Formats: sequence, structure tokens, C-alpha cells
Amino acid sequence: MAAVVGSTVDYGLLGVDLERQELEFGATPSPPTVYSQLLAIYLLQNDLCNAKFLWKRIPYSVKQSTSELSTIWQVAQKMWIKDYSAIYEALRKEWSEEVKSIMAAVEESVRTRALRLVRLAYSSINADEFATFVGMPAERAIQAAIEEGWEVDQNTRIIIPKRLEPPPAPPIMNEQHLSVLTQYVTFMEN
Amino acid sequence: MASTLEHYVNMVQTMSSTGNFTQLCDFINKSSDMLAKNASHLDNVYATLDIQQTSLGILGILCVKYSLPNIPDLETTLIQTTEFLAKCNGEHVRYATDNYAELCHKFAQALVERKMYARGIAPLVQAIQKIQIHPAQLTSIHSSLCQLCLLTKNMKPALLFLDIDVTEISREGGHFDAKDYLLYYYYGGMIYTALKNYDRALYCFEIVITTPSVAVSHIMMEAYKKFTLVSLILHGKIISLPKYTPQVLQRYIKPLCQPYMDLSAVYTQNNLADLRITVSKHTDVFNRDSNMGLVKQCMTSLIKKNIQRLTKTFLTLSLADMANRVQLTSPKEAEKYVLHMIEDGEIFATINQKDGMVRFHDNPENYNSPNMLLELDKEMQRCIQLDEKLREMDREIAINPQYVQKSSGTHEDDLPGTSTGPGKIQAY
Repeated sequence: MAAVVGSTVDYGLLGVDLERQELEFGATPSPPTVYSQLLAIYLLQNDLCNAKFLWKRIPYSVKQSTSELSTIWQVAQKMWIKDYSAIYEALRKEWSEEVKSIMAAVEESVRTRALRLVRLAYSSINADEFATFVGMPAERAIQAAIEEGWEVDQNTRIIIPKRLEPPPAPPIMNEQHLSVLTQYVTFMEN
Repeated sequence: MASTLEHYVNMVQTMSSTGNFTQLCDFINKSSDMLAKNASHLDNVYATLDIQQTSLGILGILCVKYSLPNIPDLETTLIQTTEFLAKCNGEHVRYATDNYAELCHKFAQALVERKMYARGIAPLVQAIQKIQIHPAQLTSIHSSLCQLCLLTKNMKPALLFLDIDVTEISREGGHFDAKDYLLYYYYGGMIYTALKNYDRALYCFEIVITTPSVAVSHIMMEAYKKFTLVSLILHGKIISLPKYTPQVLQRYIKPLCQPYMDLSAVYTQNNLADLRITVSKHTDVFNRDSNMGLVKQCMTSLIKKNIQRLTKTFLTLSLADMANRVQLTSPKEAEKYVLHMIEDGEIFATINQKDGMVRFHDNPENYNSPNMLLELDKEMQRCIQLDEKLREMDREIAINPQYVQKSSGTHEDDLPGTSTGPGKIQAY
């Protein structure tokens, strides 16, 4: 396998490649690293349905011999029920070389998503709750919130997250747009 | 090697090299009895023939091997089939799409019987891609692939095909069966349901239950059950079906799905406790139909629907009050639901933990952003493409000799005396 570790690996492509490898092995079990990396990549993509089915189809013997698979699966289970403190706890493990970088990326993506959700869903949030969302001790979480430029009331320990700004609008080519519009009008008139 | 087999090999080689494929297919079909009698030598013949150059000859042999009462040395046959599907000449086998499809079905069936599902996926994906004239063509092999994908719990390979809308069905020499069509969409619906792509799943199930029919099909009935549940999860009600839905659905299938009808009737009353009672009353049926998972999701969706209904009445609401109204156990649970719904974009709200209130918002989309324009653009493009496709198909029908004959025939019957031509057709 050429693409195993390294920060420059495109995980999307690696995932496609692993899926192909698994199919090529057919009914014979694939090497455990194929399963563990693919499972980790599904988590990174937040594709829990496919992670679940992958876990279900991994042969029992492979699960037995490779205990790391069930450790990764525990993360998936917690992600499924969206129990953030449990997700971070399940992620805090010694990962093998094959999945280490992917699992680090998983943690990063979970935190990014959680942060976005807090900004989207809360107009004010308790510091301790916020700490579970980002998987940090409360004091560090407050510090992080201040760094983000959020308002923090130290007495009541209430954090007021900044609202989410809408994504920047993609530029529109004027001339191209005009020709597209012309196309629509001709279509409608027919 | 027996002389008749030598004759077979010679004929296959000569006709393949001269490109006489139609005749060759006839010859191979007629030879199947002879091949079956010489079953023990078939592997020799297989080894003699070249997969690329004499694909049809090999196809004939493999078909015969699968039709034998006890497939001799199955492992070899499976390996041969896999090799054949990977290497055969697509141009040649298109002359025998019926045998080709049959081979794939039997291959899949043999794997299913021996529980070696995963082995069939890669070969069948190749097989379909090889025989299709264009990606939107449906073959009967599609249904076998979906079946294997479901059995091995590996859904992704099937999406390669399911995500493309079908515009044409391969006739396969008149052997394409309604069953393959129904099964493909039924399995497809199940695959999408498993991946929680309910929109697409509902579409697949709808295709199954709106297929013109005069008799009750079990596939249609099971599809209707799943259609009911997915429709409740996605829309909170059973969506209305198009006019061309066959009569059998209303008349025979619905009465056979009484527990599901009960469920949807109770669901529309928005009372979680009543829904729980109904579900526990019919638990046996739901379990037997393996639909319990979906039924449970219906219950969750009712809670969400009830929360959504609250947004219509209130601007702000305390979490405790919400828990009470939606029959949840605690404000914390209510907060969790609201949070998940915000994450999935199902409601627009913000939670204020300082005073334990939820504030509901209107949909922030004002339909005036460049993003929305882009979205609209995409939809327009799709509509234009669809329109083009429809016109093209319409034209094809219009110039179909059978159609012209029939429609001009009725035209003459309607208006005796004006037999000057197919007036109806001229409109095209």
C-alpha cells in the first residue's frame, strides 16, 4: 500500500481506494488495516451509515484479532448518539501508525462541527456545557471562547457565541450569466 | 475431446472471426443439449477458446455449466465466470444479452446459496458496465447486484447505478422480466433507506407501487409497507400517489397492510402516547416484516414533527414547557432534540441556556442571495435536460412502426372515410 500515513494524503481518495481493495478481496477477509483505515475515514467524513455497515460486515475473526477496530467503532457509536464528551473520551487513545493521522483529523473535524453547531444553536451557553462540546477542560474552553472573540461573563460562566455569518457568495460572471438567462428564456418560450 | 465438441469449437472460432454473430448465437443456443451431455469435457473447451475473441462460445459453455443439476466443481466455475465477466468482449456479448444476463443471475444465485455474497459485487459491477449501451440503461443484472450489496451490507457499489435515473430498459431478447424491474427498485429503496437517504428511497418505493399491474405482487406489497413508513418519517404523512397508480394497490394491497394503515392513521393525530400503544399492538407484525427499525424511527419523527408544530404557535418557549407539550421526560431531553434538529436544518431556533428558553426563527433564507440563484440555476438545467430527454423519447415512440400502425389504425376506426394518413402523428 502506497498511501498509508502522512499529512498530505487525500483521505477521500484513500477511502475510494480502500473500498476498491475490499471489493477485490471478495469473500475472503481483507487485511485488517483496510478495515481500520476505511472505518476511520468514514468517521472523518461523518458518514456514520456506511461506518455502521462496514462494522457489520467485517468478519468476526478479524474483529477478534484486531482489537483496534472495536476501539474505532466505539468512537462511531458515540458519534451516532452525538454524546460529545464520550466522543472525545473515546478518541483519546493510543492509535496505531496506520490510523493515527486519520483519527487526529477525526477529532479535529468533530470539534469544528461542534463549534459551528454551538454558534448556530445557542444564543448563550453554560461554560461547562461548552467545554463538553469542544472536549476541553472548562477553563481552557473559556480561554478558547475569548480567543474566538466571544463574550464571556466570568461571574455567571455564561458564554455568548458569535453568530454564524452566511458563507461568502460565489461571484457570478456577468456575461456568462446573461447567456444562461437567454438560454432559459428560449427554453420557456418553446 | 469428443468430435461434436471439436465441431463446436471450430464453428465458434470460424463464426467469431468472420463476425457472423447472429448465426453464432443461434448455433450456440441449439448446441446447449449437446454441451450438457459432454459436461465433463467443458473445462477443456473453456481452456481451448480465447475469452476475448470467442466470448460468445465461452458464454454458451458457462450457461450450460450453471444449468446442470449439480454444478460440477463450483469453485472453478465461479472463477471462470469472474474471469469471463472481466475479460469478455463487450461488442460480442451484446448479441446475446439474454444469455449474458442469465449467466449473471445464476452466478449471483450460486453465491447467495453459498453465502459468498461479497465475491459477486466487483464482477457484477463490471458485467453491468460492459453490457450497458449508456449509463442510464437498466439491465436485469442490476437487481442481482443490489441483492448482493444488501446481503453483504456494502451499499456503496450499488449507488454507482442507483444514483443515475433510468431512461431505457435493455430488452434482453424479450427476457427482461417485470420481477427484475420491481426488485431493482425495491432493493434500491432499501439501500437508500439504510443510508438514510429517505427522499430517494421514497422515490424508489413509489416506482414499485405505481408500476402498472393487474395482479398483486408480493414485491409491491412489501414496497408499499416500506413506502408508508418512509413517507411518515420524511413527510409526517402518507404522500398522495399519482393518478396512474394501479387499482390493485387501493383494492387489494392496502387491506393486506392494515397494521400500517392503523399506524399512519394514529400518526396523523400527533399523539405520541397513542402511537406507542398502536406500535406495541402490532409489534409482532412489524417484527415479522423486519420493519421495526423504521417504525421506531417513525416515533422519533413524530416527536420532531410535534416540535416543528410548536414553532408555528410560539416565538419563545421554555425547554420545560416544550418537554411537557411534546411528552418528553425532561427539559434536557427536549434540548437535545432541538439541538439535533437545528444541526440537521429541520428547524430554525436558538437555545438560550441562561434562562432555559428556546427562541424560534423564521427560515433565514430570503431567496435573494447569489447562492439561491445558483441553486435555481442547477434546477433549471436539470429541468431543461429532462425536457430534452422526454422529447427525444417521445420522438422515438412516434416513429416506432408498431405505434404508428396502431395509432393510425384507431384513427381510421374513429373517423371512417378519412384514410388519407396518420393525422395524429403529424403533430409530432
